[in-house]
Amino acid sequence: MSGRPLFRGGRLSAFFLLPFLLVVAVFFVVPVVLTLLVSLTNMSVATGLSGYDWVGLENYRRIVQDPVIGRILYNTVLFVGLTLALFNVGLALVLALATSFLSERWGNAFRALWLLPRITPSVVYVLMWRYFAAEPPYGILNQVLQGLGLPAASNWLHEAPWPMIIAINGFVGASMGMIIFSAAIRAIPRHLILAAQLDGATAWALIRHIVLPHLRWPVLFVVAYQTLSLLASYEYILLTTNGGPGYYTTEVWALYAFHTALSNYFGNAQFGQGAALASVLVVMGIAASFLYLRLFPFRKLTDRPKIEVS
Amino acid sequence: MTAKGKAGRAIGWRKILVGLLLLPALVAGGCATTPKQEESEPAGEGQTVTLTAMVVGKPTERYRLENLKAAAERLNKKLAQEGQTVRVRVEGKLEDRPWEEYKQKFILAAEAHKAPDIVLSGHEDVAPWSDAGHILPLDEYVKDSPVYRDVFPNLWKSVTYKGKIWAIPQDVEARPLYYWKPLLRQAGWTEADVNALPEKIRNGDFVLDDMLRTAKALQDKGAVEPGMGFWTRPQPGPDFYLFYLAYGGELQDPATGKLVLDKQALLNEYRFFARAAQQDKVMRPTLIGTDWTIWHRTVMGQKVGFFHGGSWQVAEWKDKYGLTEDKMADLGYALIPSGIKGKPGVTLSHPLVYMVTAQSKHPDLAARLLLEATAPDLNTRHAVASGHLAIMKAQLDDPEYKKSGFLHAISYMVEHAKFLPLHSKFGTYDQIVYRGLTAVVAGQMTPEEAVDTVASQLKAQLGDEVVVR
Repeated sequence: MSGRPLFRGGRLSAFFLLPFLLVVAVFFVVPVVLTLLVSLTNMSVATGLSGYDWVGLENYRRIVQDPVIGRILYNTVLFVGLTLALFNVGLALVLALATSFLSERWGNAFRALWLLPRITPSVVYVLMWRYFAAEPPYGILNQVLQGLGLPAASNWLHEAPWPMIIAINGFVGASMGMIIFSAAIRAIPRHLILAAQLDGATAWALIRHIVLPHLRWPVLFVVAYQTLSLLASYEYILLTTNGGPGYYTTEVWALYAFHTALSNYFGNAQFGQGAALASVLVVMGIAASFLYLRLFPFRKLTDRPKIEVS
Repeated sequence: MTAKGKAGRAIGWRKILVGLLLLPALVAGGCATTPKQEESEPAGEGQTVTLTAMVVGKPTERYRLENLKAAAERLNKKLAQEGQTVRVRVEGKLEDRPWEEYKQKFILAAEAHKAPDIVLSGHEDVAPWSDAGHILPLDEYVKDSPVYRDVFPNLWKSVTYKGKIWAIPQDVEARPLYYWKPLLRQAGWTEADVNALPEKIRNGDFVLDDMLRTAKALQDKGAVEPGMGFWTRPQPGPDFYLFYLAYGGELQDPATGKLVLDKQALLNEYRFFARAAQQDKVMRPTLIGTDWTIWHRTVMGQKVGFFHGGSWQVAEWKDKYGLTEDKMADLGYALIPSGIKGKPGVTLSHPLVYMVTAQSKHPDLAARLLLEATAPDLNTRHAVASGHLAIMKAQLDDPEYKKSGFLHAISYMVEHAKFLPLHSKFGTYDQIVYRGLTAVVAGQMTPEEAVDTVASQLKAQLGDEVVVR
């Protein structure tokens, strides 16, 4: 193709980027800036949105000196790490592989089933878990255990808070990875699989040598994306253990920020202190993103193909 | 096109982009105006003024709203007698939701300039809400009304902050220790022993240690199952301060108004809970966090020896959990025992109060409405239906109030009642102290460790607003 291009310079790209930039600005940049600003004040219910004072880095000093912050950080890493490994990636991979080896109809049916937790309103979903875990004679799990003659515990949310919370979050989180991985498996050229089957490859060999190598990029994407969403996720913990039982046992950073900024029994929430906690969380998210960009060869994975096959 | 021209244009685009990026920030900044008290409008001739009210409560507490509606009728009669043509009507909803949510809703409404005229909440909100400018002082309306003389003086104390009255008491309660008499008899108590218990607690003959010993005996004799000898409330709330107060703890310094943490009293409280949950095992270590419904069903199923709750819960138990008049005869109630031999038992009152918001366009009518709602017959019908105590002296002679045996029997507790402090940082204080308690109950910390952690956390979060002794 010869002749002059229709548009020159950055004008066209800027024009096309504008809607996206606006959305990012309004829904991401501005809230972050406002959060950072609020975190430098002593804003609370008692000061209202107008009677506050600028206190500089006082709120950040409090975070550093807070005796429980280490525990909160540990909980956050534990929660994000385990939920990610066991469910959002691990179980998602198992589900995607399992449903891909079924016929289309059955595979879709099972995948639809796994979408249920995600489309159930969280309050209803959690209520089901609470009745599942409740102490005897009310809880379903304990009724089953007693029926089998096994020793029933009291409330499972108290007996095993972390496994329960990770499962509650994971059952919701697994579906996203499952969908992405299923689509990726479907995109693997048929002839590779057929050739391998002709050579007498077992199902396990197929998965190891053909399917998994093709899933590298989707796995990396899901890990990065889900890390960020889990870092900011607290609603299921809020609705089940509310950070308990006991001393900040399951309080993650996002929940700590929520409790500080928006919710306490006697109603004087500390907006400024909560905003400082939220700002630290934003920094953590950005740090995690950079880490992934450095660790994973994104550039290589998103390179243009050397040749186009049509 | 010259290179310079190109660069110039690129800068132009960049400027526009940056401007667009910053636009929302500027808009948001411009919106942060100062909330001021609304101009109060003179009520026009012959018009009907609608006063909106935000009220929280369970179905048994419906009179918190219904009494306002009844008060509107009375106020209208008075306005007619005064020859005024303005009339009042009340609009509102009884919100049956958790405190945290309810308070959050009011704060968001107030910050968005959509506050109602009247809001009902706990008396501890007087501190933060008046500091924030959400509510109005009511001295000029209250001080020369007969209501002021009739309501118990310590209730006015619970709504006085920085020398002004900010609210009108709506109800008050006691938080008794409950116990099932048949279970005590099973453990070998005589009828006389059972009947003498409330008085022994009142005199300081029966203290918290005696209660733990009795709870253990109930379990050992098989009257209740293990872990069911003594139950506290299962969720956060003011009740846990009962034990701190029982060991002589103070929450606020009356001279300076600062919050106080008495380390020795807190240590005694935590040790008491460590004994209950970890050593004597009369309380499940997993009790805190149980659903309210399950808690109610269990205590009303006569499966727990001693438990403490609010006087309003009797109304709830009758309403929903099958507490009949016959069973009421088996239910004992007393003050919370003191932790110290010879000291009288304690209880805690958490008065709920009506406030007039700064955004009300008719604060004078709202305040007059609240004074009308504070009438012996209206407060008594609320007290009887919801299990609350009298707030005015005149109610004590009210035959309706006397007829309700339970309320009449626990009226003496108000003399022994303590209040939560009025301090805008009490919410933060409470979260820290409560978490320390849950750590001890779950066996994650020794009482000594928990007290040290709580003290250092309070210092870190509240600085000089708390005095640690």
